[in-house]
Amino acid sequence: MAAISEPVVANAARAQLWRPLLHTSARYRMVVALLAAVTLWGLFAWGYQLKTGIGVAGIRRPVFWAIYLVNFVFWIGISHAGTLISAILRLTDAGWRKPVTRAAEAITVFALMIGGMFPIIHLGRAWLFYWLFPYPTERLLWPNFRSPLLWDVTAISTYLTGSTIYLFLPLIPDVAALARHTTGWRRRVYRALSVGWTGSDREWHALEFAMKLMAGIILAVAVSVHTVVAWDFSMSIAPMWHSSIFGPYFVAGAIFSGIAALLIAMAVIRRTLHLEAYLTEHHFNNLSKLLLLMSLLWFYFTVAENLTAWYGNEPKEMAVFGARVRGPFAPYFWAMVICNFVVPFVLLGIRRLRTIRTATIASVCVLIGMWLERYLIIVPTLSYGRLAATWGKYAPTWVEISISAATFTTMALLYLIFAKLFPIIAIWEFETEVMEVSSVS
Amino acid sequence: MFLSAEFRAREQVVQAVRDLTAQGFVRDRLDLYSDEPVEMPAGVLPRRSYMSLGAVTGAVLLLLLTIGFVYFTQYNYPLVTGAMPIFSFWATGVIFYELTMLGAILTTFCWFLWESGVLRRKRRGPVPELKDGAILLRVECEGNQGETANRVLREAGAESVQELRA
Repeated sequence: MAAISEPVVANAARAQLWRPLLHTSARYRMVVALLAAVTLWGLFAWGYQLKTGIGVAGIRRPVFWAIYLVNFVFWIGISHAGTLISAILRLTDAGWRKPVTRAAEAITVFALMIGGMFPIIHLGRAWLFYWLFPYPTERLLWPNFRSPLLWDVTAISTYLTGSTIYLFLPLIPDVAALARHTTGWRRRVYRALSVGWTGSDREWHALEFAMKLMAGIILAVAVSVHTVVAWDFSMSIAPMWHSSIFGPYFVAGAIFSGIAALLIAMAVIRRTLHLEAYLTEHHFNNLSKLLLLMSLLWFYFTVAENLTAWYGNEPKEMAVFGARVRGPFAPYFWAMVICNFVVPFVLLGIRRLRTIRTATIASVCVLIGMWLERYLIIVPTLSYGRLAATWGKYAPTWVEISISAATFTTMALLYLIFAKLFPIIAIWEFETEVMEVSSVS
Repeated sequence: MFLSAEFRAREQVVQAVRDLTAQGFVRDRLDLYSDEPVEMPAGVLPRRSYMSLGAVTGAVLLLLLTIGFVYFTQYNYPLVTGAMPIFSFWATGVIFYELTMLGAILTTFCWFLWESGVLRRKRRGPVPELKDGAILLRVECEGNQGETANRVLREAGAESVQELRA
């Protein structure tokens, strides 16, 4: 793989990175229409559920948490892409992160928006979601501050606020530059978003300081968010949930799936927007190594989690463990192990095999594997509870499948629209890097 | 009066700033404008920031507000409990943590808007129009400083020097 990207003339880079914003191809419109159609179908399914009642979903006693909560945990996990790539690498001054950060930060915001919707969808009577906010009602009923559900609301609201600001701050210089070079409605929108940016050294200084500060804060919030999501499970005394390892296990899994999502997004952007000169093999190589590292960490956590349950031989836990490993959930379990460990280990661990194509394949496998992992955490435990008399099965309905499918298309749609309105690579950061590379060479 | 000088190299700007300060120009009246951040050597045009202090203050403030609010809700409940709180205080630690962080985030953002000056348009005077790849140095001159500034800027290598009008 190439060691370093070729220096590109700054103005040429800007012209190339702005080109997708100003020209829309027929293929782009077709893809957007297709994604919008599936998203609308998902909205219809949700509307049907709202009108008819939560009974149209496959949620039945004892499995009262199912695909909706699987999607919630999955998307919150994906949202860790921006945090890891942008915040950690910004704090450690890793220069190679620069063309990657905005793509990662956008994933964080959109994934959080989608993930945050699922508890509301799961409520059934979604129009009463505001009951979760602490406000003095006429009955003086306050939300239960000890409830992990309320913890989720606070954690995700904080994370979404922080991530949106973290995405917005480095966008300001780019939109200010765009405002100078565009006309019509774009100029008005960019001008409004640039909040009066003039490019003075005071502004640059404040921006760089704010970004560093935000990176530190957002990192602490990101870790807490997925830990809180893990506590939704581990605070209950259910078999295979009541585990002290769940917090770090979930955080590691979240970062793992976040990197995979970022790699896929980068591969798609690179190909469709012809950004081969900016998203080089060097970036894919570095991210692939990170993905491999997280795969090993995930495997370690999975072994630690399951080995202690197996060795403890507690009957209630063994019922869930058995269902996962050799029972009705075994195909999903072993598919998860193959997707999350075997495939990345082979494709990314062997240097000769590590290319952009294999990194993308491994990332797709990891996303499938991580979704299965979330499913295997939630459904088997609820299906095989402490009382054998209450054991039951779960099968998703068309409503749940439609809504779940729509979340993936919504993510892609939001991403495409974002890439059409804003440069997907932070141009000012990238130009600085180009200047540094040029001066070194 | 404001003068704007256009430079193409960072070293020229550094020289211009050093010469201007040697001539008695206050650093606070010198501003750089560019498409990308221009890193200056230590001591040349230093900009101080109290953003981290602001972030900590915002965090502490929201933490105290949250503690007060949770404490209030422990007792403000229409249920006879014999003056006992309705729920345990310490189980709400996650809420405290998250809202403390929210305080830090919001303060950082507001501090950035204030400290960078983007929202204080009227106070910052005329702004030179950015040009691709150029570094513009704006000098605020008092009395008869204009002539001196013009000479110093040109000697440092400015491609052009213009008077800015509001």
